[in-house]
Amino acid sequence: MSYLFSYDFRYDDNEYETETSVNQIEVEDRIGKLYCRLVDPQTLSNGGDMDDSKHKLTYPKHEQFIRDAINGLSSIFTALDSSRPWLSFWCLNSLDIMGCEIDDMLRQRTVDTLKTMHCPSGGFWSDPWQLPHIVSSYAAVMALVLVGSEEAFQVIDRNAMYKWLMEMKQPDGSFAVHSGGEVDVRGIYCALVIASLLNIMTPELVRGCSEFIGRCQTFEGGIGPYPGIEAHGGYTLCGLAALEILGDADRIDLGRLARWMCARHMAFEGGFNGRTNKLVDGCYSYWVGGAFPILQKALRRSPKDDYLYERAALQRYVLACCQDTRSGGLRDKPGKNPDLYHTMYCLLGLSLSQHYVGVEPDKEFSDTVSVYSVPVRMMQWGALPAGLQVIGAKSNVVRPVHPVYGAPFAPLARCVKYFYALPPLAESLAQK
Amino acid sequence: MCETGEKCDSGNDNVPMSEQDTWKDVAPISQDDGANTICPIAYTDEYREMMGYLRAVMSKCEVSQRALDLTSRVIVVNPGHYTVWVYRKKLVEELGSNIENELDWVTEISEKHHKNYQLWHYREALVSRLLDPKAVSEMTEEQLVVHPVIRRELFFTSSAIESDSKNFHAWSYRQWLVRTYGVWEQELGFIDTMINEDVRNNSAWNQRYFVLMGDGRGRPTKDAGSPMEGSLADSEIDYATDMIKLAPNNESPWTYIVGLLVRHAPAKLYTVLLPKLKELAADGSEYAAAMKTTPFYWSALVDIYEQQAKDLPDQADDLLAQASEVCDVLATDHDPMRNKYWEFRKDQLVPNI
Repeated sequence: MSYLFSYDFRYDDNEYETETSVNQIEVEDRIGKLYCRLVDPQTLSNGGDMDDSKHKLTYPKHEQFIRDAINGLSSIFTALDSSRPWLSFWCLNSLDIMGCEIDDMLRQRTVDTLKTMHCPSGGFWSDPWQLPHIVSSYAAVMALVLVGSEEAFQVIDRNAMYKWLMEMKQPDGSFAVHSGGEVDVRGIYCALVIASLLNIMTPELVRGCSEFIGRCQTFEGGIGPYPGIEAHGGYTLCGLAALEILGDADRIDLGRLARWMCARHMAFEGGFNGRTNKLVDGCYSYWVGGAFPILQKALRRSPKDDYLYERAALQRYVLACCQDTRSGGLRDKPGKNPDLYHTMYCLLGLSLSQHYVGVEPDKEFSDTVSVYSVPVRMMQWGALPAGLQVIGAKSNVVRPVHPVYGAPFAPLARCVKYFYALPPLAESLAQK
Repeated sequence: MCETGEKCDSGNDNVPMSEQDTWKDVAPISQDDGANTICPIAYTDEYREMMGYLRAVMSKCEVSQRALDLTSRVIVVNPGHYTVWVYRKKLVEELGSNIENELDWVTEISEKHHKNYQLWHYREALVSRLLDPKAVSEMTEEQLVVHPVIRRELFFTSSAIESDSKNFHAWSYRQWLVRTYGVWEQELGFIDTMINEDVRNNSAWNQRYFVLMGDGRGRPTKDAGSPMEGSLADSEIDYATDMIKLAPNNESPWTYIVGLLVRHAPAKLYTVLLPKLKELAADGSEYAAAMKTTPFYWSALVDIYEQQAKDLPDQADDLLAQASEVCDVLATDHDPMRNKYWEFRKDQLVPNI
């Protein structure tokens, strides 16, 4: 089986070398070496026919890579000492996406660990001598969602979380990532993910979010962290997903956004880069690739129309270039070491390129004004079976994930079911 | 007195803190992760020890030189420890430390950890303290650029960017600097240098838009307002097309000029840009071959024809038909990997009713 590929897709530098073109061509050479093993040499004169039947996701290797990390990390990881809630999210989510077992003992360990990272006055930190951080809080909440037990949900004090998020709220609608910390679109995304999952969305919390994100869309079409700053894949997903939670994607110029996102798809490599004229990186398989399903819904494109990019090409990049088949784990690009961050984001990107996830048009909920419609609208997302496209081994298919939250559907549904059965926030705040 | 903790402590690095006189009155607080923790990090003994003392001084909110020195040591090992930066900021303020020396120290750290969020944010705070933006609001840009604080920051960021030309944090910091102190004019010279070094450096192109148009709604220091002056639009078209000539298959100048005009001078797309592009792509032009093979040229034509159709309803059908044809050519010949996008783009081309 062969999908769109050609050596003619390589970068044309017009014989005018600069640092950017030299780096680009060097990466293409490295990737070309991997791809040439899959190309029928007889077809080279026509650009090359790629044999895409042999790609294989090496589950056991990646699972071992993650289980080793769960049991202990070397001192190099001291650099992540202030981001420890991320470690559990990366590990649990990667296991869940691959359909590996998350047994009771691992669940318990995660709950016990995250209990020590919960800040009684709201949010999560790595340890009680740090300030709670909005991005760590996002990761901690997501890890607890993946555990999915009542005990896990009860780790979170949602009233305190709400009060703390409101303390981080800025007059311009954005959020500081911690007290005295920087302000950018990540803060809005993390706050809205947390609030929508924990049933603590209020008009006050969402005030000004859309306007801020709108100001971050640059002339290129993508979204930057802060008004004026260059459009970037990571912030684009954060911004677009936040707008989807708010039901306000029309706030931005979706046509220019589509153009920019499609331009991030690297024709030869098959993966995405994160900014114009930068290099491909496996993590953008999610940050940009994962934004396509949300874009699809925002553009009101029917599930009959495919996403706006070549899904097989992305799967090829993840499977052929991002797997470290020796040590396990997934990576940025060939020549780089695998890590937990890239493992999770490559797997998310792979999942979202295999499954067509969206909302059946006739099911679409029209009330996008009220913040209280959020759980209904978010839980309408699902994988539409007719849209499955898997390249390589049949076993390559991983679990479908929610593009807005970046995690499999079942645990998200459990979480929403639990928190939306609790009394509304105003009531529970009054009781305290 | 020691201003930079690193130098001060370097002689003692091999002596455990518990044996140092400086720390003998402090009982370190160890981290209790429980036995069952997930992803435990095998900290080095040295890190474990310094964090024990850090927790001890932080829990007392101790304001002292030794605490400041300790934060230096922690940051060198783990610059992502945002809480230490917040603590350090407080220490520097309350101890009345020399801010200039503090900036030098941050510069040293930046050389190793230029992808770190905290140090740039911290730097902003230091510079704002050193030079209150309100206090210099009456100064002209000529005066500001020779002010030692601004001059140092411009120099520091340009060297950071010269060694890593697309450093996201450094460019963002530079936007903060330019916006906060209103040093807009000098920035164009720097941008030119960076674009001349690498015409594909998109961060520099983004900065160009920022300097000319602010955050998309005009420079905060000038009158806001969407439409740009015609002469400015014309000179930007000249600039961008000159850069396109160097290497037509370079997304940056295309996105820049089309994005700029779509937002701020749409009619210039077809009155000024289009004839220039056609000339470059015309038979006999030395750029013709490269222009006609790059998808960016064709993509720009789609945007241009679409705008023209919007503005000139009586020619709309014809223009949209041309744009639609170009989309087909892109999908099949010039940009087949993005064929789905070009089909979508074609469907977007509808007459204004």
